[in-house]
Amino acid sequence: MIPLTELEHDALVEIFNIGVGHAAASMSAIVNEEVKMSVPSISFLNRASAAKLLSNKDDERICGVSQHYEGAFNTEAMLMFPENKSLEIVRLMVGESVPLQELTEMEQEAMSEIGNIILNSCVGTLANIFQLELHGSLPLYHVGTSAEILSASGSPDDTTVLMLHIDFLLEKQQIRGYVAFILDLNSLQDLKHQINRYLLRSTGSA
Amino acid sequence: MDSKKTVLVIDDSRVSRMITRHYIANQHPDWIIEEAATGEEALERVKTLSAHLILVDVNMPGMGGIAAAEQLCKLCPHAHISLLTANVQSATRKQAADLGIGFMEKPVSEEHIHQLLASLEK
Repeated sequence: MIPLTELEHDALVEIFNIGVGHAAASMSAIVNEEVKMSVPSISFLNRASAAKLLSNKDDERICGVSQHYEGAFNTEAMLMFPENKSLEIVRLMVGESVPLQELTEMEQEAMSEIGNIILNSCVGTLANIFQLELHGSLPLYHVGTSAEILSASGSPDDTTVLMLHIDFLLEKQQIRGYVAFILDLNSLQDLKHQINRYLLRSTGSA
Repeated sequence: MDSKKTVLVIDDSRVSRMITRHYIANQHPDWIIEEAATGEEALERVKTLSAHLILVDVNMPGMGGIAAAEQLCKLCPHAHISLLTANVQSATRKQAADLGIGFMEKPVSEEHIHQLLASLEK
């Protein structure tokens, strides 16, 4: 694993906070209430440790939305929530009047849209700040254990996962979600290189 | 206004403070740029600091930027205060407008800082 310096780490947290700040504005327009989103911390883990962080029990199911990005660096980005929170989020999006059956039917579509908003805000901010372009695939919806979802891209067990802890706070609910970026060694080096280019450009030092 | 001014940058991110400092210093190398990492720290600093411009991040640990800005408006009535935040929601813009302070979106750019500083010099 390639360690980041304290300054590189701080830069990445700040970039992702800008990203989720924009995502929160989009989400707020959808749910018609103020949405607070922040990234209190990030961590680099191997895939098995990342899976453990996402769920305490091996068989606990979570739902996730993934998008593959290529360009300045390649990554599989995934937004994950506990499965039991998924319907609550969809309910917020579509309002109280929709019957439960209909709500369940639109769960996949709604979660994909939320994933699309949050992942693109994070990746888009990263691309804009690095002055580069990243091309994303369409969102894919998954339900399963954290280990199943994180291995869906076919990456090896020791692949590095950059985990963002996202606090998603609405007026009546607090939902903790995660965004994971699966990065191979080359992509990690590319990411570190881009952070340093950005620091050099915007602060005069790296 | 005096040519040499004092700016207070309040942000929990060191990188964000560094970037803002860099852009201001590029245009005004003689200005004094002070930093605070929390709202609480900023309220302490302004007791001994006469700031012309105060830039405040919103999402910070502790009291947060909005509560800090509210206090700063009372403590520094002559300072130009602006939020500098990634929280771009209408609710946050409205809070800034209600307080009578500015609003600047992150990521901060040199051009936006230039525009802000130019408006201060008018």
